[in-house]
Amino acid sequence: MAKGSKVTKGSGDGPNGDNIRLAEVGQALFIKALGVGVVALGLSAVLGMNEKDGWNRFSHSYLVAFVWVMTIGAGALWWITIQNIVNSHWSTVIRRVAELIAANAPVLALLSLPVVLPLIMGNPVMYLWADAELMKKSHELHNKIGYLNTTFFAIRFIVYFGFWTLLSRFFLKRSLGQDKETPEAAAKTVVSMRRLAGPAMIGFAITITFCAIDLIMSLDPKWFSTMFGVYYFASCVQAVNASLALTLMWLQGKGRLTSSVTVHHFHDLGKMVFAFTIFWAYVGFSQFMLLWYANIPEETLWFKLRFANSWGTLSWVLLFGHFVIPFFGLLSRHVKRNRKALAFWCIWQLVMIYIDMYWLVMPTLGFDEVPFALIDVTCWIGVLALFIAGVAYRAKGLDLVAKNDPRLPDSLAFENI
Amino acid sequence: MSDEHKPAVKAGPAPVHGILAEYDTPSQILHAAREVRKAGFTKWDTYTPFAVHGIDDAMGIKMTILPWFTLCAGLIGLATAIVLEWWTNAYDYPWIVSGKPFWSIPANVPIMFELTVLLSAITTLVGMLMLNNLPHPSHPLDQVRRFARVTDDKFFLMIEASDPKFDEVETRALLESTHAHALETVLEDRITEEKMPAGLVYGLIIVAVASVVPFALAAKARYTKSATPRIHLIQDMDSQPKYKAQRENSFFADGHADRPEIDGTVAVGDARDDDKFYKGKDGDTWTRTFPSQIALNDATMERGRQRFGIYCTPCHGQVGVGDGMVAKRADSLAQGTWIPPTNMTQDYLHQMSVGELFNSISNGVRNMPGYAAQIKTEDRWAIIMYVRALQRSRSGSVTDLPPDARASLK
Amino acid sequence: MAISDVNPYEAPPAGANMFARITDNVSRIAETPTPPRAWYIAFGFAQLLLVMFLGSLGWVIWTGIGAWGNMMPVAWGFPIVNFVFWIGIGHAGTLISAVLFLFRQNWRTAINRFAEAMTIFAVVCAGIFPGMHIGRPWMPYYMFPIPNQMDMWPQFRSPLEWDVFAVSTYATVSILFWYMGMIPDFATFRDRATTTVRRVAYGIVAMGWRGSSRQWHVYERAYLILAALATPLVLSVHSVVSFDFATAQLPGWHTTIFPPYFVAGAIFGGFAMVVTLAVPARQFFGLKRIITIRHLELMNKVIMATGLIVGYAYGMEFFVAYYSGNKYEIFTFVNRAFGPYGWAYWTMISCNVLFPQLHWFPKIRTNPWATLLIGMVVNVGMWFERFVIICTSLSRDFLPSSWGYFIPTPIDLMTLGGSFGLFFTLFLLFCRYLPMVAMAEVKAFSPAGHAHGDH
Repeated sequence: MAKGSKVTKGSGDGPNGDNIRLAEVGQALFIKALGVGVVALGLSAVLGMNEKDGWNRFSHSYLVAFVWVMTIGAGALWWITIQNIVNSHWSTVIRRVAELIAANAPVLALLSLPVVLPLIMGNPVMYLWADAELMKKSHELHNKIGYLNTTFFAIRFIVYFGFWTLLSRFFLKRSLGQDKETPEAAAKTVVSMRRLAGPAMIGFAITITFCAIDLIMSLDPKWFSTMFGVYYFASCVQAVNASLALTLMWLQGKGRLTSSVTVHHFHDLGKMVFAFTIFWAYVGFSQFMLLWYANIPEETLWFKLRFANSWGTLSWVLLFGHFVIPFFGLLSRHVKRNRKALAFWCIWQLVMIYIDMYWLVMPTLGFDEVPFALIDVTCWIGVLALFIAGVAYRAKGLDLVAKNDPRLPDSLAFENI
Repeated sequence: MSDEHKPAVKAGPAPVHGILAEYDTPSQILHAAREVRKAGFTKWDTYTPFAVHGIDDAMGIKMTILPWFTLCAGLIGLATAIVLEWWTNAYDYPWIVSGKPFWSIPANVPIMFELTVLLSAITTLVGMLMLNNLPHPSHPLDQVRRFARVTDDKFFLMIEASDPKFDEVETRALLESTHAHALETVLEDRITEEKMPAGLVYGLIIVAVASVVPFALAAKARYTKSATPRIHLIQDMDSQPKYKAQRENSFFADGHADRPEIDGTVAVGDARDDDKFYKGKDGDTWTRTFPSQIALNDATMERGRQRFGIYCTPCHGQVGVGDGMVAKRADSLAQGTWIPPTNMTQDYLHQMSVGELFNSISNGVRNMPGYAAQIKTEDRWAIIMYVRALQRSRSGSVTDLPPDARASLK
Repeated sequence: MAISDVNPYEAPPAGANMFARITDNVSRIAETPTPPRAWYIAFGFAQLLLVMFLGSLGWVIWTGIGAWGNMMPVAWGFPIVNFVFWIGIGHAGTLISAVLFLFRQNWRTAINRFAEAMTIFAVVCAGIFPGMHIGRPWMPYYMFPIPNQMDMWPQFRSPLEWDVFAVSTYATVSILFWYMGMIPDFATFRDRATTTVRRVAYGIVAMGWRGSSRQWHVYERAYLILAALATPLVLSVHSVVSFDFATAQLPGWHTTIFPPYFVAGAIFGGFAMVVTLAVPARQFFGLKRIITIRHLELMNKVIMATGLIVGYAYGMEFFVAYYSGNKYEIFTFVNRAFGPYGWAYWTMISCNVLFPQLHWFPKIRTNPWATLLIGMVVNVGMWFERFVIICTSLSRDFLPSSWGYFIPTPIDLMTLGGSFGLFFTLFLLFCRYLPMVAMAEVKAFSPAGHAHGDH
């Protein structure tokens, strides 16, 4: 048994008798989340209609919320892929929860429709390049029409979410199937999941990169950065580790997985949040500093927009809030091993990732000052709530632990120094 | 070596330093450590070939303060980098480089990071050595033969005699109960000298003094003057055997290396004795006719038009009335200091001789600089021919045009 | 008696346990009076290359930089390519020491010592090139902020200055980390020494280490801290090296993905060098039980992963060159593949992207000689990658009237080849006199190293 965790025999059928089914808690969560989501998005729609700008404001607010939720959803898929590639033992006990989050990819696809569907139908309110005529006439843009056109985008959209759906389904199905297998078959399943994870990671890297490029970078079709996919990816990793920690704490609060997931697992999740705080800052700084240094107007205009007026204040908030402060906050191992402190920093970073997405997307709306308003909050709550509802629905009747995985005993006994 | 240098061997057996127990596996040493800790000893230690997992807890070793050293050092490194970069580049000797601000935070970040890490790392290692009392040249355990296997495959536990709970018999019994492979009494070290060897001390003093010498020499070089030139090993092309301007040369009577020009000499191809062509002068007056070298034909006119377009239109405009781009811009800036370029189609310029026009172009007039360096002599005459054409064009009448062109004016 | 004749596991010393076998297996490499014949052959060859190296460097110092092929427009030629190449190789050692330690990958203990040594020697080789290419290598102190008679300071806004600090920091921290790791093993050598010279020499560097657990506690903490410091350091050093190029406005150089791309490439090339050294080392020094096929396989997987990251970066550069619509950027990439340097580009692609894909096949990645071959191929590919980035981008930039074709001089080639001589000389001396494997760490993570029932 891992040191520092209390061993109490429970009445469920998980390890140590832990309760590993969401059951009525899941049902309640589903209904609540669905309700909140529908109301919040309804309110957003009303607010958006009120703006009378052809849904411009609404689309931007919604996109921010959506790409924020996508960092969690796509991040979860990355997380389970990497755990399989490196044959990680410590994370086995929490992998099922991540698989359930990742398997929510179809819901993610549905949630993307308010911004994706108008785009595919040629509405240029948010994505200028949806207007093919404009593209052909523009001196800078006509070269890109081979990539930035609605037909090719539609195909790519299907590829991204189709690939994520298929991959997450594969992992979840195999993992669930493993629950009922003999030890020998279970060991073979581990190998088969690992075998796919290698090539799958290549597919993931390509899809997340181009999805971020299509949805966020192309908002300003004249700007470009080879680092953009990596930048978005850094947020994905941080988001999934923070979300997993919070999800597991919530589950334990509801009496699930109480003794299987220990302070040692939370410590490791905290380490990942910390490490990717640094990685995000490294990627963001590299992207910024290189464009600043060469000072080419074609590239710097994007940053100039984000340094003007209150956008500049937001940029400082991002630097200090997303890097400097959490760096010192998460440095100490005691913080990472303390539930309340870790929860605080995970929530903090998730909020900061939202601010990052806001900072990426909103300036193209064209306001001189940061236009943060109620509609942003309602979109955020709405998309997140519907995403959670999707996960709760998926988790119905499923075990929250891969209880037959041969690496599970190692995971339960895992001790972090 | 004389007897005075040998340490006085004290009479009687050496006092006991402690009791040493030997074990074969990590499990055994952990068990033994727990027992000893339970018994309440404080001056004891275990010795292992590698860091045994769990021994910190078994022995009750508290977390070290080393990370705090690292943190402080890191912050000092960061501060050092910031001060260094700001003071050198933004305060002491600021100079503009590729348009970047003197204090360019994005450009200064990499070095801030590096110095933070450098100081942290050095402090960590030095701190570790200090906290571990290393280097530790001699220890009573060095006299115990079996202890040499501590760096190989054996685990040891020693309780020191200076511990308040130490008792030769009872402590030995306790250790026996932990199933030690072997027990041994360790005696105080009476063989190793307590003082550092004289040779080593002298050596260190010599090294310390010697290391000051380069700095002393540098200080001397910095603050004293010398009549001899600096040592200059790599000559490159620094001292060239040639005469520079204003130097002496005893070969000549006046001692100068510079020699005056000999009257009447002119570089090959530089004899410009055709005053009309080169200066626009006819004797003492400005010439009123073009020099004979200039063929007054279409080709010259075309050349003049082209050259006018390059050199003259920015100020004087396409038709020479003084409405060129530069003039328009200066007008729009309205700073009150601009004198407009001459309108060449004015009457008095119709009257001005071509020689005087040539002089204006070559040497400049009023605010117009001279263009002799930029425009070849032939081209200047061609420009003047074109200027004449412009003047004609502004002062003519419809009858000057050929019949078929008159229709376009209607 | 040569090492390779004795297999310690066939005839272990009487009553030896696993710890003693590990100690014996590793220590006798340095203790045996004559090293294996392979060592002499390799050392002799390294000496030839080293003489060539020193000769080329001496010639350049004597006659000047003109001895190299650097010429406008390719003002940065072989020296910079070699510098980036060697620094990159060094990064694998730090990754194995520090990053794999943080990820609790205990298999690293078999290879981390000589990978760290490889890092130090690679950094030594690397540092010589910028030192030489400043043109007046007798004045390198200008690069440091030392008060001088001109009251001038280095230009901290320049990536080349960041390089000075980054590489110096990296060299220092690597040496500290390597040394600290060797203290317990030096103690082992000291305690096994049969001559006074060895005892005193190893004794001094062992600092009187006696394996006290209270000391191990502080030591382990220091090791963790240094690993945690070395991790961002390894990311930053090659990122700073990439800034040398990415901060410019040159097409083909000015891409934001350069920092992680270079770091991944460095690890890629570095691991390739590690396996290139590991395969002969385990063969000729009898370390097959410590550096096992599993270790080679894991290293090959890292090579594959980093190779794919490098491939991703190639793809991204290419895509964004098209997406940017910038005709100079587009031309640069078309020129790389189909211009006069196309041969270098396709060498790079086949060595870096195509060949390592062979490691998808278990039979190949568990074969030591295939590992060695692919490792060498990757090293060649990574050298060509730097050559392609640096020389092709410079040879054809904005103005066609400025274009030029760079041709290396024999001195360039001799300097490149000779640098391997320095590297291998130092490495072979390391194998001969220093603890090649981190014995204490291998023991700690061996099956016998774990106590049972301690929870």
